[in-house]
Amino acid sequence: MPFREINSRIVEATVLPGRRLFSQRGAMLAYQGEVSFTPNVQGGQGGVMSMIGRRMANEDTPLMSVEGSGTVLFGHGGHHVQVIDLTGETLYVEADRLLAFEGTLQQGTMFMGSQGGVMGMVRGQISGQGLFTTTLKGHGSVAVMAHGGVFEVPITPQRPVHVDPQAYVAHHGDVRNKLSTALGWRDMVGRGSGEAFQLELSGSGTVFVQASEEKL
Amino acid sequence: MFRLQGSKVLAVDMTGDAVKAKNGSMVAYDGQMAFKKMSGGGEGLRGMVTRRLTGEQMTVMEVRGQGTCWFADRASEINLVDLQGDKLYVESSNLLATDAGLRTGTSFTGLRGASQGNGLFTTTVEGHGRAAITSDGPAVVLRVSPQFPLTVDPGAYVAHQGNVRQSLQSGVTFRTLMGEGGGEAFQIRFEGDGLVYVQPSERNTIAGDV
Repeated sequence: MPFREINSRIVEATVLPGRRLFSQRGAMLAYQGEVSFTPNVQGGQGGVMSMIGRRMANEDTPLMSVEGSGTVLFGHGGHHVQVIDLTGETLYVEADRLLAFEGTLQQGTMFMGSQGGVMGMVRGQISGQGLFTTTLKGHGSVAVMAHGGVFEVPITPQRPVHVDPQAYVAHHGDVRNKLSTALGWRDMVGRGSGEAFQLELSGSGTVFVQASEEKL
Repeated sequence: MFRLQGSKVLAVDMTGDAVKAKNGSMVAYDGQMAFKKMSGGGEGLRGMVTRRLTGEQMTVMEVRGQGTCWFADRASEINLVDLQGDKLYVESSNLLATDAGLRTGTSFTGLRGASQGNGLFTTTVEGHGRAAITSDGPAVVLRVSPQFPLTVDPGAYVAHQGNVRQSLQSGVTFRTLMGEGGGEAFQIRFEGDGLVYVQPSERNTIAGDV
């Protein structure tokens, strides 16, 4: 495991020759050994086409690639950091929540409308994800940032989970998500309970939820 | 059933019963849940008018259903309070959730409230059950007994319960008036028998400035 949590807000990454890491630009706190940081113009993996894709999708958080041999400490903005290990599944996460991830993971963007059509796009707008979200696929670890601590809620086919869109951080597994509305006449007259929109996640996998309703 | 998941998330297991929680504080749930806003904190028309008049407005929702519901509020620390017929005094902004069986109301705090920076009125919770209160940083629970009265900074006070008398104590001297005060000109003194919840952070108060 290349990432080790030093405390709730700092992770230590081990960099070995030939094992590249990507991290958010400027998130390095300290390092030991021979490590070089190269700003990544393309904002991640793939060629120029991927870069254009990310630019258009507004998922082009500035990244840098970290190479060499040594250890690097990462942290950003005092946010809590959660390390998620992926074993072949796909993680869906907002690009600006990514602190660092292994180069072995395949990065991509997903159009929200491809899951649920127009409702998917509406969902992206409401949850603040926009029309696109970042996907990471393969074997490796990801360090994700969140405001407040993160807790995992397992999703099983019998038990769909509803999440407040503002508190949603990421999810992985074979999960369908859709926006469920509990809009009633009360919300129309300003007497709502503040929980009018919820993300409904069903299938099997895990969703990560932060202990706060604040975006990064 | 209230339980803490970590220190910042409250998990409530429900089997068809209800809890009252701060509006919009749900972060996730599984199972079936219904959310309904309770106007005026669910205290009826009289309570609603009182809350409006006292500025102690509280937007509360009733959550009813089956499954587990998780609550959190801006990553603040959560403390569970057990009530056995006694009364909890807490600021409405620090109250996260209560059992549906607990009654909430307002009470006059006098000059002390003004020094705390949160108005002349406070919220009371009474009955049998559990309540969850939030604090900025992990709160310490301090015991007050007749032999040992307790003095607290108004800005760090969160809540108290039990049979406690409180009075405002001021250490305003000539130096304070000259702007050379130690920043601790006002304190709340608790006497009697009960518990006081204090947070490791101070709200902005008039008392903190002098």
